[in-house]
Amino acid sequence: MTHLADLLRALGAAGVDFILVGGVAAAAHGSARVTQDVDIVYRRGKDNLEKLVAALASGQPYLRGAPPGLPFRFDVATLAAGLNFTLTTTLGPIDLLGEIAGGGRYEDLVAHSISAEAFGVQCGMLDLETLIAIKRAAGRPKDFEAIAELEILRDRGR
Amino acid sequence: MTPGNSIDEIIELYKRDVDTTLIDECLKRTVEERLLALQNFAAAIAELRAQTAGRK
Repeated sequence: MTHLADLLRALGAAGVDFILVGGVAAAAHGSARVTQDVDIVYRRGKDNLEKLVAALASGQPYLRGAPPGLPFRFDVATLAAGLNFTLTTTLGPIDLLGEIAGGGRYEDLVAHSISAEAFGVQCGMLDLETLIAIKRAAGRPKDFEAIAELEILRDRGR
Repeated sequence: MTPGNSIDEIIELYKRDVDTTLIDECLKRTVEERLLALQNFAAAIAELRAQTAGRK
């Protein structure tokens, strides 16, 4: 598991615009399910890519599952040339998502996110309704149990 | 479950088995406490896995 506190502090200290999505966002809303990685949607602007690199470079990001020795530079040019990156870092696994299916990019999602403070950082996280909608849109059987829990959480908040 | 069940019907079935006592416990915590609990639990699982792998 990612050193979540350290990761969020690094992103916050660098001023990265990001939104927590996936299992960590679900946990923040009250889900009891365990997740192994952190998924964030990041803003694609060059200034934000620079902040992202500054925040994570010391964690030696490398493509998760790639054979050792594969040339990979974690820099602005690499981030600009790609979109979604599944990475391993010294802080743990992290998925940097420029876009998510059914949800779009940072700019699309920011209106569907809420802000909460954790570890001294003001974190954006996807709201429950959108988390559910994205998982429902994906239609993956592996998500059904998670959707069921998220909908119970949503209904408790009403 | 029969073929043709909608996703809604399937999810409703899953809801029967959600342990709501765990949800209740999570909702008593702050966001930071929830994330810390997740981090600590995942770390404990990773440590157990590492120890188990070492004994194989």
